[in-house]
Amino acid sequence: MSLFKDASLPAITAGFVAVLVSYSGPLAIFFQAAQSAEISNVMMTSWVWAISLGAAVSGIGLSLWLRVPVVTAWSAPGTALLVTLFPGLSLNEAIGAYLTAAVILFLIGVTGTFDRIVRAIPPGIASAMMAGILFQFGVGVFAALETVPALAIGMLVAYLTFKRLTPRYSLVLLLVVGVVLAVVLEGASLDGVSVQLAAPQFIRPEWSWHATLSLAIPLVLVSLTGQFLPGMAILRTSGYDTPARPIITAASLTSLATACFGGITTVVAAITAALCTGREAHEDPDRRYVAGVANGLFYLVGACFAGTIVALFTSLPGEFVAVLAGLALIGAITGNLSAATDHKEHLEASVITFIATASGINLLGLGSAFWGVVVGALAYQLLHRPFALPGRREASSANARS
Amino acid sequence: MKHLEKGVGLASAPRDFLRDLNADNLSAGLVAGIFGLSAGIIHIGAGTAAGLPQEFTLLWVISYLLINGLFGLFLPAYYRLPLPMANSIPGALLFAAIIPIVGLNEALGATLIAGAIALVVGLAGWMSLVMRLMPMPIVMGMVAGVLLKFGTNMVMPLQNALLPAAVMILSFFFAARYLRRVPPLVVTLLVGVGYMAISGADFSSVAFSFRLPEFIMPSFTLEAFLAYGLPLALILVGMETPAGVGLVKGMGYQEAPANAITALGGIGTMLSAFFNLHSTCIAAPMTGICSGPEAGSHDKRWVAAVIVGIIFVVAAPFYGFVFSLIEAMPSYFIAIIAGLALLRVIGSAMHITFSGKHEVGAMFSFLIAVSGVEIFGIGASFWALVLGVAISMLVEFKDFEFSVASPGRRKADVTAR
Repeated sequence: MSLFKDASLPAITAGFVAVLVSYSGPLAIFFQAAQSAEISNVMMTSWVWAISLGAAVSGIGLSLWLRVPVVTAWSAPGTALLVTLFPGLSLNEAIGAYLTAAVILFLIGVTGTFDRIVRAIPPGIASAMMAGILFQFGVGVFAALETVPALAIGMLVAYLTFKRLTPRYSLVLLLVVGVVLAVVLEGASLDGVSVQLAAPQFIRPEWSWHATLSLAIPLVLVSLTGQFLPGMAILRTSGYDTPARPIITAASLTSLATACFGGITTVVAAITAALCTGREAHEDPDRRYVAGVANGLFYLVGACFAGTIVALFTSLPGEFVAVLAGLALIGAITGNLSAATDHKEHLEASVITFIATASGINLLGLGSAFWGVVVGALAYQLLHRPFALPGRREASSANARS
Repeated sequence: MKHLEKGVGLASAPRDFLRDLNADNLSAGLVAGIFGLSAGIIHIGAGTAAGLPQEFTLLWVISYLLINGLFGLFLPAYYRLPLPMANSIPGALLFAAIIPIVGLNEALGATLIAGAIALVVGLAGWMSLVMRLMPMPIVMGMVAGVLLKFGTNMVMPLQNALLPAAVMILSFFFAARYLRRVPPLVVTLLVGVGYMAISGADFSSVAFSFRLPEFIMPSFTLEAFLAYGLPLALILVGMETPAGVGLVKGMGYQEAPANAITALGGIGTMLSAFFNLHSTCIAAPMTGICSGPEAGSHDKRWVAAVIVGIIFVVAAPFYGFVFSLIEAMPSYFIAIIAGLALLRVIGSAMHITFSGKHEVGAMFSFLIAVSGVEIFGIGASFWALVLGVAISMLVEFKDFEFSVASPGRRKADVTAR
């Protein structure tokens, strides 16, 4: 089997680092979602088991099949959505929405309409909504400054230092330093952390309009624009001319399978993908797929010991998780805000999308991500569509020049 | 006096005012003026919370309108720049809280010293130096963070007053697209008033009143200076002026007179101390409304700021009446108008924040300003600047350009809108 012939230490390390980064940063958001849903550790273990297994199966399968380093993970902006929706949304409704989202993504995948749909969404609006969803996590870092100043400042300084010195490992090192700081400064105890095998819990799905509009639709949108789009772009800029169809189809089928155990949509990784597709993974692009396989295998290990991971996070203070999640997302927030404000031709619509999403408004039982898209699309149609007559603006800019 | 910037002059100001007056800057000035009048509610609220007599809080707001208004007439007219003057809200909260502790005359004495400090900073030319060394993305990150709250305050009323809020916001978008000759803000204002007329807002508590500011003699104690005077000076020099000047520069007025704004604010604050008032300075939200794209053509936006001054001075003696009028209006009304007026300003500020250089520092500046975190009793906008620059130096030192020469680069695309 050629996999063993192609395997190399750098590729396996790349896969390992990608998994470690995922568990260090994005998992903290999922954990905050679990806290807002007020679920038990057993249930949380099942969630982590499901998302890890989904990432493992789809990642290994796609990497081997396509011979391309396809790194899959769970939808990080999707988990961010959850934080605001729980506990108003029931667990069963959330699972129903996961299934709805998976079906929609499957249809988009098999029909091959991904590129067309992505092109139809104004880029500034998509980025603005992403930024709005993630924004509260960034602000949370500074809210923690008032409650646990020493821990927050320590982690902030550590983050900035590691970002300067070793950007690649900064999140992993931040997790280590953060755990030490939490134990020393806040008196957190790690006694409850032990090696234990995970047992999945079945959750009966329930379909509702409320969950479909508040969760499933925004979940599809952020998964397409926030994960599949940048993920595919990373693959293509690394020189892999892979079609989107098999990847989205396989990922959505995995999502369907894991949903009932609490696994949110499986997608192409955006934050960690670059670790496995670049030169650090291997000099020879044709042997980098091993990094994708290794990434999947390490996720499999993570899935087995999901209980241990959950125990580690629950024994640390909530502020620690908040600061970790916020710092892990700073890069993504900055990237999305600069993309949102880059498109000057529809800046107003992007800004109002961002404001409405970030406001956390809850209207008619629907979350702010949904309203952000509604308000943004409306503003875009009214203010910026080509057939709108821009006479007023032209007149005022002519005056400015005179 | 050599550091004070020269302006156009006052001689032809009344004639130029009439020449440059148009529907756009009139409506922006009107909205900013209404916004400034409504800010008096914050003062009255803070005063009531601190247990000050209503008699005093009313006098306080009347002084702020008259004194801030007079300075707000002069400054924009002299420089022909959209520089409306008001007072510091964080300063107001501090002032109200300190009066029961140190006494009114003592608090005003500390105000006088804080004004003198601002005057010295302006005369020495330090403010323009700081503004030149401070990277623009970091300053605008702070400005965008401060103004973002006005944006979210605009959408929040959708939650409990869905119909009027949706109608007002939609009227703005529709007017922006279909009514090209009328400023959209005017349409929204009229729609809002129309809705209140139909839905029957309760104006029975509106009562007429007339009062003028009263003279009072400040006195000096070290305790009042340390607890309130020094923080106030920091607020004026470190928060209010950089926010205002940064905002005006971001809107394409690179020649904004940083030293003169600081020095004049200092004189205004010293004068304020004799009339029950805590400060006179440039005001960021009103500056945003007057200097932003909603105020029409770029070289005529100064008119909007002058209109704010006129509104303040005229309304001052009747503030008891104005206050009862504002109280009778639903709170979402002004929140929506102000948010819409600032929408494009927030957009421009965010565009500059994320324009590329100093990305990490600018992001942190933005986040800190939004978080509203207070450290050592000093507000978030100050820490946004300090920590933003410090972080930027740590992470992206290469982006700094340490040239004291004036950056002549104009944000042409901002001005064109």
